[in-house]
Amino acid sequence: MNNFIDHKIIELGHWVVGFFDEYPLLKLVVQILLYTLPLMLSFMGAFAFSTWLERKGLARIQNRPGPNRVGIFGLLQPMADGIKMLLKEDIVPEESDKLFHLLAPVMLMVPAMIAIGFLPVGDGLNALPLDSAILFFFAIGSMNTIAVFMAGWSSRNKYSLLGGMRAVAQMISYEIPLVLSAVTVIMIAGSLNGQVIVASQQISGWVGSGDVVKEFFGQILGWHIFKPWGFAGFIFFFVAALAEANRSPFDLPEADSEIIAGHLTEYSGFKYAIFFIAEYISAFAIAGIAVTLFLGGWSGPILSGLPWFVIKLFSLFAVMIWIRGTLPRLRVDQLMGYAWKFLMPLAILNIFVAGFYYFAEQQWGTWVALIGGWIFGFGALQLAAKGLSRLNKSPLLKGKRVYQYAE
Amino acid sequence: MSIAFFMLAAVAVLGGVLAITLRNVIHAVFSVLLFFSAIAGLFLLLIAEFIAAVQILVYIGSVGILMLFAIMLTTKVMGDPTRTVRSRGWVWGGVAVAALLFGVLIPLITRAGNTAESSLSNFDPSVKELGLALMDPYFASVGVIALLLTAGLVGAVVAASSASETTDS
Repeated sequence: MNNFIDHKIIELGHWVVGFFDEYPLLKLVVQILLYTLPLMLSFMGAFAFSTWLERKGLARIQNRPGPNRVGIFGLLQPMADGIKMLLKEDIVPEESDKLFHLLAPVMLMVPAMIAIGFLPVGDGLNALPLDSAILFFFAIGSMNTIAVFMAGWSSRNKYSLLGGMRAVAQMISYEIPLVLSAVTVIMIAGSLNGQVIVASQQISGWVGSGDVVKEFFGQILGWHIFKPWGFAGFIFFFVAALAEANRSPFDLPEADSEIIAGHLTEYSGFKYAIFFIAEYISAFAIAGIAVTLFLGGWSGPILSGLPWFVIKLFSLFAVMIWIRGTLPRLRVDQLMGYAWKFLMPLAILNIFVAGFYYFAEQQWGTWVALIGGWIFGFGALQLAAKGLSRLNKSPLLKGKRVYQYAE
Repeated sequence: MSIAFFMLAAVAVLGGVLAITLRNVIHAVFSVLLFFSAIAGLFLLLIAEFIAAVQILVYIGSVGILMLFAIMLTTKVMGDPTRTVRSRGWVWGGVAVAALLFGVLIPLITRAGNTAESSLSNFDPSVKELGLALMDPYFASVGVIALLLTAGLVGAVVAASSASETTDS
């Protein structure tokens, strides 16, 4: 039975709401709570688990045990951290802008919590099934920038202000490749609705045909990542998403070796914890949108929709942790150059590749489009990437490299 | 529905008033952002979700950031209160602008009221309809706007590059 769990959850919701049929106002309140509370609570749980996962993963990469004292494998470490954060003294700098210093963490939390509502987490499970959900997601995501600037500015600390300015510059720049690489999927699916985009990644003739093999592969091979433009688009999207979520190697706004902790310098106690929660939840949200756009969303064989979505979300998050443990931080000029001179032209070219793929599929069928797309479309992207990296090469690096001390 | 409208409208008016009365530049920018978000909420109430999304994306995400950028490039980064010149002239200017605005708006609103009710039956607020409308009947205006924006962008690049050359030499 496919998507069994998703349908059961929806039935359960209808069953609970059914009790309040005679009280319309109470019914509305219960409906609102049913749409929002499970989502918020499960993402808070995911946040707690992911901090543990991140610390364990980084520890494994760096050859040390990581948290292992609280609970089995240190699994209760997030609880201990949370209690510690709650009990800490909340220090507000004397010269700071008190109101904005208080508002900034809230301003970061609200968009993060709204953004997860747009994710189609299962078959029919979508808290805000708007017609323009993807666009709304990006719009809400752009509000993060304001909150980070607010935090940096209100602290009255030069490092905070530097962090805030870096964050604004970085988020504004990376939003462009992020949206441009998502445009390809929206073009092909012909919709901004998350559920429609997921449905476009199931091969229509195969799913629901009754044939076991076709049923199995129809829910995997249709994912946009297996198409040339989708593969390239996923890479661009993921890189830009790392920068949007302030994840390493793009965590310049809080680069601790340069500007202490950037916009977080003057925050302590639970406000600091709220910043962390919001940052992780927006990282989850943007990973969830990547899953929806390129990795087939909740569609997958054998298991239900919801488990598939959770598996994909955490796999993507594990890749983020892996990258954090592997790559060093970028320099500011490298960061900006990478967005404007490399990612953006390639993302624009990718839109053309997707357009050609669309018409080739209509004209000559899927196979021709796929093979031609991988050879010509992906080849063109490859060539453009090579040419761009040669064009962008610093004049200092031209010519043979001379090593002074090493042979 | 009307409670939500009045709340959002009050927030919008508050944001607008704060934006012109606050002495701190950064505070003023944030009150403008408050105003923009209240307007986005009003669009949502009208089931114009696409316009609401664009309002947030363009006005809060880009115009607001642009204003903050411009302030960050000046010496008023920390937003110390600005000194202003007070004069009686602004009253007459405000009255003139308000008269002009409402003189144009009110006749238009009264004329538009009748057509809106009649077309409510086949009302389809989907993004697809909007896209088709932009591509077919309004294609010329979209093209002209795109050309204008491109010209502005190229002009900005030219202005920026020639300025740096003169400082170098």
